[in-house]
Amino acid sequence: MTDAATDHAELVSGLIGDRADAWDLAGELPRDLLVKLGASGVLCAQVGPEHGGTGLDSRAGGELTARVGARCSSLRSVMTSQGMAAWTVRRLGGTEQWDTFLPRLTSGDLAAVGFSEPGAGSDLSAMETEIADDGAEVVVTGRKVWITAAHYADLLLVFGKYRGGATAVVVPARTPGVRITRVENPLGCRAAGHANITLDAVRVPAGHVLGGTGLPLPLATTAALTYGRMSVAWGCVGILRACLDAAATHTASREQSGRALAEHQLVARHLAELYVAERHATRACEHASASWDTGSPDMAVDAVHAKYVASREAAQGAARAVQLLASAGASDGHVVARAYRDAKLMEVIEGTSEICQLVLAQHMRKKVRP
Amino acid sequence: MTISSEQGSHTAETVAQEVQQFLEQRTKQTWDPDTDLFSTGAVSSMFAMELVVHLESSFDVVISGPDLALDNFRTVNAMTAMVLRLRGVKP
Repeated sequence: MTDAATDHAELVSGLIGDRADAWDLAGELPRDLLVKLGASGVLCAQVGPEHGGTGLDSRAGGELTARVGARCSSLRSVMTSQGMAAWTVRRLGGTEQWDTFLPRLTSGDLAAVGFSEPGAGSDLSAMETEIADDGAEVVVTGRKVWITAAHYADLLLVFGKYRGGATAVVVPARTPGVRITRVENPLGCRAAGHANITLDAVRVPAGHVLGGTGLPLPLATTAALTYGRMSVAWGCVGILRACLDAAATHTASREQSGRALAEHQLVARHLAELYVAERHATRACEHASASWDTGSPDMAVDAVHAKYVASREAAQGAARAVQLLASAGASDGHVVARAYRDAKLMEVIEGTSEICQLVLAQHMRKKVRP
Repeated sequence: MTISSEQGSHTAETVAQEVQQFLEQRTKQTWDPDTDLFSTGAVSSMFAMELVVHLESSFDVVISGPDLALDNFRTVNAMTAMVLRLRGVKP
């Protein structure tokens, strides 16, 4: 890790302390902690210094994400949202919009990105949210569901149809016509502030429409989601590291039938597989981050691959960890119980495993076209 | 990252040639400079993203905001024109 990434990781670890279990049970992260982390640039650490960030590359940002993910997937999810918001502004916005919005994302404002709708999940082309021109303003109307971190957000990046294409518009969460309702009792990442958003003829300045024009919807969403996939993938590496640590510690210390659990062969196999899962996920993420950092055209596909591999390994690895800790880890709030629930959601978010498989299959099919 | 010659040396011809090479390598077919890539169904949204990233890293440009419009990627000629514009080269 770079110095900046290490500093960030130590700051976050210190602030989390041993409180992640309680946050999971309460379903809430302390707002002052999020604002403090936002103002220090940790939540979107890849934003450059010219906009108040620390300009980590994808690899260093990924290692930081894994460090946070190992402690608390809810907080890591908030990082994913903030980073994806920043990346969306960077990718879809013009330079004036970078200067307007990026400094806000590194100075304490929190952000969420809205893709999913009641009728548009895996098929984002069914998106119905409309952004309509009205003089110097635009009017935004639609519904978004399961938006990570929306409960905490000051700024909502809302994807919608615009001028025959699509883009995202920056909507301050307190604008009249915006209603944010928490998703009750989410399966995982319980303190990540998932919420549903209703936008009822919400008016914002036309300058808030990123890029100021309609873009091809698949390109606009793929550009934004690519960051989210990298972040989720590295977060899953963190989940696996936490599970490995908990499983190794427990199986070395607990004895059954007169010897340590780790000396039982069937237990040892679980430990070996957990280690393989962590290495496998890490390598997939390192590869995708290298593609990102070198500007490889495979970056978007590699991000899908990393997300697919890391979430699958995390879901299986967390199940192994629960199996190994058994009653010692089977209470809500416990690190492996959280991992078990959080990892399953990671196979769903930012493109389900099935959508990832379709993207990867399409990528291969194209390569053998005669 | 940069696969061709040093900064400022690109012309419409060298850009178009490089883009055509990339397309041929990726799609296993050759592309006329004014054939619509997207109407043929040969390319996906993921491929559009590949094009964006490839053009950025090959020609040292940033393609963001309105420049992401599909029309800029529709043909080899359109991509060439955009790259030259972003590099500040007069046509």
